[in-house]
Amino acid sequence: MDNVYKPHLMTVLEVRRHTPDVKSVRVTFQDEALRENFSFRVGQFGIFSAFGAGESTFNICSSSNWRGYLDFCFRKTGRVTEALWGVEEGDVIGFRGPYGNWYPMEQWEGKNLIFLGGGIAMPPIRCAIWYALENRARYGDITIVYGARTVKDLVFTSDLDEWEQHERVRVIRCVDPGGETPDWTGEIGFVPHVFERSAVPAENSVALVIGPPVMIKFTLPVLDRMGMRPGDIYTSLENRMKCGIGKCGRCNAGGCYVCKEGPVFSLEQLQKLPQDY
Amino acid sequence: MSISKQDLLQLADGWLAQGKQLIGPKRVKDGLIQYARLEKASDLLLDGFLRPANSIKEAVFPRHEVLYRYRVDGKRIELIDEEFTPPETLVLGARPCDAAAFPILDPLFNWDYRDEFWNRRRAAATVVTVACETHDEHCFCTSVGLAPDAARGADAVLYPLGDAHFAIRQVTARGEALFGQRQDEDWPPAPPGPPVRFDSERVTSFLAANFESPFWRAATLSCLGCGACAYNCPVCHCFDIIDEKKARVRNWDACQFGLFTLHASGHNPRNTQPERQRQRLQHKFRIYREKFGEILCTGCGNCTRNCPAGLGVLNVLEAMPHG
Repeated sequence: MDNVYKPHLMTVLEVRRHTPDVKSVRVTFQDEALRENFSFRVGQFGIFSAFGAGESTFNICSSSNWRGYLDFCFRKTGRVTEALWGVEEGDVIGFRGPYGNWYPMEQWEGKNLIFLGGGIAMPPIRCAIWYALENRARYGDITIVYGARTVKDLVFTSDLDEWEQHERVRVIRCVDPGGETPDWTGEIGFVPHVFERSAVPAENSVALVIGPPVMIKFTLPVLDRMGMRPGDIYTSLENRMKCGIGKCGRCNAGGCYVCKEGPVFSLEQLQKLPQDY
Repeated sequence: MSISKQDLLQLADGWLAQGKQLIGPKRVKDGLIQYARLEKASDLLLDGFLRPANSIKEAVFPRHEVLYRYRVDGKRIELIDEEFTPPETLVLGARPCDAAAFPILDPLFNWDYRDEFWNRRRAAATVVTVACETHDEHCFCTSVGLAPDAARGADAVLYPLGDAHFAIRQVTARGEALFGQRQDEDWPPAPPGPPVRFDSERVTSFLAANFESPFWRAATLSCLGCGACAYNCPVCHCFDIIDEKKARVRNWDACQFGLFTLHASGHNPRNTQPERQRQRLQHKFRIYREKFGEILCTGCGNCTRNCPAGLGVLNVLEAMPHG
């Protein structure tokens, strides 16, 4: 019987510990044909599972150009992530997906890209950044502003170092006031403030903003003051999901099912949705 | 040719004798009538009551269902498919407002991804309704396009003739297979249903225009969040997926529970009971209608009858300005 709830088995290739409570895991399909042929679009998500604990929803945070494996990242916060925290190379987890829509990377071609992320929101931005860098000629200047509460809360810092090596890429790291260490060379301040004083040109740009609600709330007015249009500002919602395929009834924001019609929305689309996310 | 109650029970016993499943209204204890699995046809209740306190959805959408099992052997994990052949099931004596739930939910369970658990159970179920002779103040089938003898979702409709006989209206091939040559040429006129209580088009418009409204808090703050409305609703279908005893299972869930939408971060998009009530009403009368062209409500009134706080769809809609 075709069972839409049955996951694919994936073997853990590598576990990276980013902070005291954030890890990313690289997994590969056990099924050889899937390993060769699986494809997704950056921005889509999967339902990942630890057998014995349950399922959780995470963005696929690797680039869609990388074949044979995929990455996901999580903070240890509950039953499933506690179980996933313990996985090691060679362990087996479950994966369903890819689900949802994706970043309109084709539509963004020819534009400058501004990525704004806070804390654990770097993973869903990371996939888009790598994708853009792997298709470098198609995009203009790339600005990445990434902040976290403290230095030790920053994730994928080695990726940040690598991105900085690329041409026409500006990486701005920041931590909340008080979160810096004596040897911190990045900015001190909240993402919206640091972004505003960095004077990033807004012409011909699109912005992808992902982070805690408070960061988004204060970042949007900055983008507005820069003259960016709501149709050029994107985010990814993270409503709680169970099925991922439009049936279990909880991820909707008003009449919009985030699992099927999202998770990627432009601000223009979001403004039409009720405050239900 | 009508069927006597005695012959009907005999037919049901014959069904059971073939090892098939029979579900129908049963007095499960004093003062409580529910749809339940019946071991013998004599337990079947066909008259003398308004409607069971629950719904027949469990026949097709069990409250607890194994999606698949797994075996863990060190680092090796093996998924074990459920050999899923649902039992052939006869739901006998259902109310029309219960039977209508199945076709209403079909498009949801087949929205891009086909849920074969639902589809296979659907295909294995024969639903025979009994037209309602009475209604109470909580019934409102006529407000959502149904009627006391609506045939929607039924394979056959039985019309009580008053002398322990029923006229048979066969609706589908499955109904014909069950009753054979007994099809009646005509059946009694539809019993009078409840009066129309609201205009569903106006309700939908109100919901579209009033997502933010003081109405929600004023009308629904008394909700206790117990979920009885959803669990006894023929069309509430929300579910949870969890791990249990080396199996991944799905359990009924309800939008009235605070944990339903709680994010791992602690953020909750629907943090208060009025927001959860709003979701329930919006989903039933606007969102589902926009998505699938159906009202996600059959007017059975179970939500009100089971609500410890006197809420339920009808009471909230009637409190609605322009409702």
